[in-house]
Amino acid sequence: MEKLQINPIFSVSDFIAVINQTLEYAYPTVEVEGEVASFKVNQGKYVFFDIKDQGGSVGCFMSVWQLRVPIEDGMKVVVSAVPKLTQWGKFSLTVKTVRPSGEGAIKKSFELLKAKLDAEGLFSTERKRILPVIPKHVAVISSIQAAGYADFIKILDDRWGGLRVDVGHVQVQGTDAPDQIIRALNYFNGRDDLPEVIVIIRGGGSADDLAAFNDEQLVRAIAASRVPTLVGVGHEVDISLSDLAADVSASTPSNAAQILVPDKSEIIRAVRVQIGSLLPRILRLIDQQKQAISDAINGAFESIELAVEQRMLQISNLKSVLVQLDPNTVLNRGYALIRGAQTVGSIIEVETNKVILKAEVKNVVNK
Amino acid sequence: MSSTNKTIQEKTTELTKLVAWFDSDEFTLEQAIDNFKAAEKLAAEIEQDLLSLKNEIQIVKQKFDSEN
Repeated sequence: MEKLQINPIFSVSDFIAVINQTLEYAYPTVEVEGEVASFKVNQGKYVFFDIKDQGGSVGCFMSVWQLRVPIEDGMKVVVSAVPKLTQWGKFSLTVKTVRPSGEGAIKKSFELLKAKLDAEGLFSTERKRILPVIPKHVAVISSIQAAGYADFIKILDDRWGGLRVDVGHVQVQGTDAPDQIIRALNYFNGRDDLPEVIVIIRGGGSADDLAAFNDEQLVRAIAASRVPTLVGVGHEVDISLSDLAADVSASTPSNAAQILVPDKSEIIRAVRVQIGSLLPRILRLIDQQKQAISDAINGAFESIELAVEQRMLQISNLKSVLVQLDPNTVLNRGYALIRGAQTVGSIIEVETNKVILKAEVKNVVNK
Repeated sequence: MSSTNKTIQEKTTELTKLVAWFDSDEFTLEQAIDNFKAAEKLAAEIEQDLLSLKNEIQIVKQKFDSEN
């Protein structure tokens, strides 16, 4: 006997609802990789595109705010989406996230967003703020399990002390990472006791690992941060858009610690050099003063000697004059000294340089 | 931190001023020894502060994996 099979009869709406329930049960979320085609944005709010490969094409829908990276036709992407049958019976993917797939697409998306944000001035050097020389309170946004975080803390502890470090633990890769980092940024920016710097760090990884730091909303949040930001993501060669939007960019998490605080061993060495230079400086100044005193004394002696020489010369000159005035000098030249009245018949005394004789005056004639 | 309660930056600034005094017009030999002793004491305090201070690292309780 043939078994009777009874098929349920649905209304169209019920049928669509049942299909969607079945899809939701079987595939709550699917990830589909393909090439973007027919990309368009309607009313500035709704994004439509197809994702296709050689064998087929599926329509995709999402809202503009969910689109975190720029995409364009021909770009290879992975969409994370909910499959859905619309009320018009058309099958589509309601996309939650879309990310570029493959090196070429990631690079293309990066360049598109970079050009867009650069045109808005988000990377302008005029926007950059200076970090405090020695901060007392900083916030760090990173995964506390990441090697980059451990490197940062080690270098920080080696270089400086007395710092208050508040750490916001977040995912630093994957689709949830940008939103978590944005929430952490908002949290620290909303605190009553604002940190002086917000440091965002993540160690090296593949381009896909670091893609979170090229998320448009995250880049905008970094640029809008009230608190100055220091971003150290990846290796030396990696440049993310978050790096470009930050007030200061470090090449690695370790480098971020080096930028954030001075090295205490360098300060200790500099302080020792300063103190070490003082004593020789004092001794040199004492030597200079001793030399000045010695020069002054020598100058005084020279002045005294000069004055004595001048007096001696004067005395010598006076002596010469005195010698010339001595009567003996005149007598030695052959002259004679006459004493007594110079009248006829009187006796006078005549003194030469050799003898004294008495003589009578015989005659007196006036000249 | 030493008993003076000044930050390392304040002490470093003070030390720099003291050292600069030795090259200034205000320099006198009579004052030099006192200032040298003060600079030496300050340098020792800075070094002690730098070596003894530890960073206070705190993981905030706030979760960021979802809104609120």
